[in-house]
Amino acid sequence: MAADAGGDRPVSDLHWMTAGAAARAIATRELSPVDLTKALLDRIERLDPRLNAFIRVDGEAALQAAKAAEAEAISGRLRGPLHGVPVGIKDIIDVAGLPTTCHSKILEDNVAAADAVCVEKLRGAGAIVLGKLSTHEFAIGGPSFDLPWPPARNPWNTDHHPGGSSSGSGSGVAAGLFPMALGTDTGGSVRNPASCCGIVGLKPTYGLVSRRGVFPLSFTLDHIGPMTRTVADNALMLEAIAGHDPLDPGSAAPPRGHYAAGLERSVRGLRVGFVRHFHEIDTPADPEVTAGLERVARTLEAEGAELHTIKLPTLGEFGAVNRVILQSEAWSIHAPWLGERPEDYGMLSRRRLMAGAFMSSGDYVLASRRRLEMIAEVEAALREVDVLLCASSMDPACRIDQPAEVDRTYPRQARTPFNVTGHPALAMMAGLSAGGLPVSVQFVGRYFDEATVFAVARAWERAAGTDSKHPAII
Amino acid sequence: MDKETIELLARRAGLAKALAQFPDDVAASAKQAADVAQKIKRPTDPRAEPWPPMRAGIGL
Repeated sequence: MAADAGGDRPVSDLHWMTAGAAARAIATRELSPVDLTKALLDRIERLDPRLNAFIRVDGEAALQAAKAAEAEAISGRLRGPLHGVPVGIKDIIDVAGLPTTCHSKILEDNVAAADAVCVEKLRGAGAIVLGKLSTHEFAIGGPSFDLPWPPARNPWNTDHHPGGSSSGSGSGVAAGLFPMALGTDTGGSVRNPASCCGIVGLKPTYGLVSRRGVFPLSFTLDHIGPMTRTVADNALMLEAIAGHDPLDPGSAAPPRGHYAAGLERSVRGLRVGFVRHFHEIDTPADPEVTAGLERVARTLEAEGAELHTIKLPTLGEFGAVNRVILQSEAWSIHAPWLGERPEDYGMLSRRRLMAGAFMSSGDYVLASRRRLEMIAEVEAALREVDVLLCASSMDPACRIDQPAEVDRTYPRQARTPFNVTGHPALAMMAGLSAGGLPVSVQFVGRYFDEATVFAVARAWERAAGTDSKHPAII
Repeated sequence: MDKETIELLARRAGLAKALAQFPDDVAASAKQAADVAQKIKRPTDPRAEPWPPMRAGIGL
């Protein structure tokens, strides 16, 4: 396993252009947003039949928006830092005039009246919506072959799972169908596809990005996050979507973050807490994942960071708290449909969502009380160090057509702790396995300190060149 | 959880149709739920509060 093994591709092609580079080229009129959008739509037409990243491509509206963006650029009126840059939207997030299906028969005809706040903010920054992306049904049931649309596939090897639930977002970003996408993360659903597809996925601090206009899975665990090919693009996208929303009861009011500004800062003297027991004891990782994590730790140490070993509650307990809260809250949303239309759900989501019917109020309150203690334990750790380093997935992506293997590997992860505690957590590539699939690492920061998480992630990206690794899919 | 308890809880939760059409799925859901809370450590302090906290504000 080596971070520099294979996968290098020239980045001169428009489809590998980063969001930041595209925005700069559009601003200086070296690149036409129409040409960029057309190039991506052509690529989508060619590759998406193999990837199934999209539920709906909104090509005509995207081209119209690109023409408007071009006219604005020519007249010197730039909407914002993402002017003319295409984006894909997970299909549990509202885009005005398009169905928000949640990849489910239940909501096949559910046309959104307005943009979700995060989409509105992306458009305000100048982004162009390309369409709606595949997800696990209601962001919980997948990968499934019994739904109205097929599951997305991994561009590194289309026989493999791209992770979920933001599957189309991960697959499409990694395959160069778009440079950035929105995902959602309740138990790891931004960071799992980021890990499986070798891209950068951030679950921001709980409350940093408005949830308004996003179909809920679990009110107190849901987060909306950026998915991109580079750390810099992720910071750029977060700047566009972060901010207080008085109409979202979970929204926080943090000071405005300038996430892209400090990206290149040195990690010298930064205290990095390595949570080894997650992957060494709680859920022993595949040796290639362990090797990748050690490589990241040694690289950061070589860059001047101080490594410390950190102990947190076990993954098993974090997972149980997450599950009780998630399934209880999800049940309260889905109970009427599960009662009346159980046949309209896929089997996986039907089984996962009905579990909430068998949990007691005592279970929910116990999990919520333990949650506050776990928050205190992670907060105590983050007083000793500046950032945490730990595993994301314990394995490279498994084959998508082997349900037993999906069942075995899906819970082998260390993402749910930070849905439980709400701390910002970023997953990205730690290298490639001998089988040519990405392995991953996760960085976790203090509340609203996404800037430090980005700086550490960028230090690793810069040293390892993970931003130049792309799948060989043509 | 035995079969009778599962059926009772499922009917009480409004899942009679699911129970008739997808009995295996209902049983699998109950199995998922059965043991999970056992894995959570009970707070030793009876005053330990839940998260999110109750907050006075709009609507209260």
